[in-house]
Amino acid sequence: MKKKLMAVLLCVALTATMLAGCGGSDDAATTDTTTTEEATDDAAAADDAAEEVTDTAEEAGADLSSANVAVFYYTYADTYISSVRTALDAQLDALGVTYQDYDGNNNQTTQNEQIDTALAQGANVLIVNIVTSGSVDASQAIVDKAAAKDAYLIFFNRAVEDDNTVGQVLGSYDKVAFVGTDAPEAGHMQGEMIGNYLVENYDTVDLNGDGTISYAMMMGQLGNAEAIYRTQYSVEDANAILVENGYPELEYFDASNSDKYQVDQDGAWSATAANNYMTTNLSQYNETNGNMIELVICNNDGMAEGVISALNVAGYNLGTEDSTLIPVFGVDATDAAKQLIADGKMVGTIMQDAEGMASCISIMTQNAATGAALTDGTDTWNADPEVSNKIYIPYGTYTGEE
Amino acid sequence: MNFVSNIKSNIAAKRASYKALDSKEKAAYWKDALINNAIYILIIIAIIYTQSQNSYFLKTDSIVNIISLSAANLPIACGIAGCIVLTGTDLSAGRVVGLTACISASLLQSADYATKMFPNMPEIPIVIVILAVILVGGIVGWVNGFFVAKFSLHPFIVTLATQLIVYGVLLMYIMINGNNGQPLSGLDQRFKDFVTGSILSVNGVPIPNYVWYGLIVVVFMWFMWNKTTFGKNMFAVGSSPEAANVSGVNVAMTTILVHTLAGCMYGITGFIESARIGSNSATTGWNYESDAIAACVIGGVSFVGGTGKISGVVLGVFMLRIIFVALQFLSINQNLQYIIKGLIILIACSIDMRKYLVRK
Repeated sequence: MKKKLMAVLLCVALTATMLAGCGGSDDAATTDTTTTEEATDDAAAADDAAEEVTDTAEEAGADLSSANVAVFYYTYADTYISSVRTALDAQLDALGVTYQDYDGNNNQTTQNEQIDTALAQGANVLIVNIVTSGSVDASQAIVDKAAAKDAYLIFFNRAVEDDNTVGQVLGSYDKVAFVGTDAPEAGHMQGEMIGNYLVENYDTVDLNGDGTISYAMMMGQLGNAEAIYRTQYSVEDANAILVENGYPELEYFDASNSDKYQVDQDGAWSATAANNYMTTNLSQYNETNGNMIELVICNNDGMAEGVISALNVAGYNLGTEDSTLIPVFGVDATDAAKQLIADGKMVGTIMQDAEGMASCISIMTQNAATGAALTDGTDTWNADPEVSNKIYIPYGTYTGEE
Repeated sequence: MNFVSNIKSNIAAKRASYKALDSKEKAAYWKDALINNAIYILIIIAIIYTQSQNSYFLKTDSIVNIISLSAANLPIACGIAGCIVLTGTDLSAGRVVGLTACISASLLQSADYATKMFPNMPEIPIVIVILAVILVGGIVGWVNGFFVAKFSLHPFIVTLATQLIVYGVLLMYIMINGNNGQPLSGLDQRFKDFVTGSILSVNGVPIPNYVWYGLIVVVFMWFMWNKTTFGKNMFAVGSSPEAANVSGVNVAMTTILVHTLAGCMYGITGFIESARIGSNSATTGWNYESDAIAACVIGGVSFVGGTGKISGVVLGVFMLRIIFVALQFLSINQNLQYIIKGLIILIACSIDMRKYLVRK
């Protein structure tokens, strides 16, 4: 019962944020940092929103009963994907279509088999969060499967093509679309956020007063496009801003490490890996030795949390007046990270808009069910300039309640 | 006194038997000793090398760090070691750690945390949470043991199955009450103090409390293995279930107990990890069993069955952690780290098996 109530509440909240997104202009995306909670608080608006969404669904005249939707997630274990799943489940429930969720468990073979099974069961709208990110071979195989059965195919979140193969997969079939994020964007935004923060607080951050900031970098996974972009651009863009303002570039804390990152060896973007690295780092690099790490950049919020636990044990980032804050940055804007930021234990994170992604997917699902073009009604988001059926849900920065 | 004179006479006896060897045998003796202890020798070389490259390696900070990292991994390794002594293994260990870590976190979130999983729950005493996670781990372990013992299934299969089941339960658990798979954090300060706080500092470096818990677990497990009928039965069953059965050992009961005890240890690991890491999600605990199994094997707990010592497990855990830290202190490339770790496991296992091949 409680669960159902939560689902309803969430659904209302989601539709509200969705409408906020629909109604706004292009800059809505950057200013719209509405959290789910805020939306829920605003009960009246949310109610209206829910009604309006139902209205639009009815107006579309939609007999959505013909749609047999199958949703494939790369893994249920991913925090951000869990948010998308919750949001999308609620929206598909609201649409009234039949759908089934599948967990690929981080295995492309498993996912392909699940897709075969779903198609055999008569699924005609496939929503796929592909496991192997950025591989044309993997995504083309799925497009071929869908094309053979004339099913609609909506890829989301994880990239289906890389920079050299833009449009190759998405241009090969007329009933395919992609909803995702522009992978490098998170890195760029994180870098910008870090750069601006450092320019404002340079002397506080530079604990040993040597004029340069030494940083640590926690990477989620080797060979993952998003992890690579975030690792690269967060530092590059922060450096650009520092240099522009007359400060020296960031310096990796361990001069002999040419990788300039520490990576989760299991590729799980885990807090555990980050915590183990950070405690080990702190045993060597600390204020007593005059070489303290003065900034920690993490590929995701889970790792940021692990780092903060390690810092807490060493007496940093306790959120109190007299404890020193080592700025820690993440990506995802999980509830836990938002709380850490509110408590003054973390500085900032990049928000992935789970609700926005779910809304865009559900609009496309509706289009598929009614036979409209997949990308109809998605122009509130930016499409890729070269590939019109590639829709980007923008990231946003989060440094606490404004 | 008795103990000391025992050791003295032992050494004397060994020296006498060594003197009795001719020169060729003496050479063989040293060669054997060298190969059988190769892993220890390598580690000592590695420590000396790392220290010469990076003088922070053997400072108090760093040593306390190595001890803490090892202590956190001790309970799970001690638990899984029992399964290996029975010639089995336990693949479910990591997921049980994940589940119990999430349970601990959800029960011990601070009262004012905004996205608390159970917002209306009163403050629960830490002791109850420990007992709860030991119970949860124990139940999974009991199920493992039950199917291994009663259906003569290989532990590999049984624990592969329970690994999946536990993972499914874990995924469901973190979705409940609108938590929607978000990491569980915002832990109660008394929980953090209990695990990561410190009551003793060495040279101004605080030793986290979970080191003591690791120590307690080791002492407890040493007692169980060496001083109880259960321990003797475990080794008997590990060496030869048929022989043990004939000698009147309840093989099924022993198997179930070993797995249950292992499960309880995973529960303790989950409890410690929960506060140590501070963020608990579906990936928590993933793959923990592989490090634990590797530690046991490096420490001489053999898949042949019936052999192994708690001291070996402790050494194995320490070695893995020393390697982890040393590679970081040496700023070794990540790709190479996989290779080095793999090689060490391979060498350790080969040395271990060599003893049995020679005997045959």
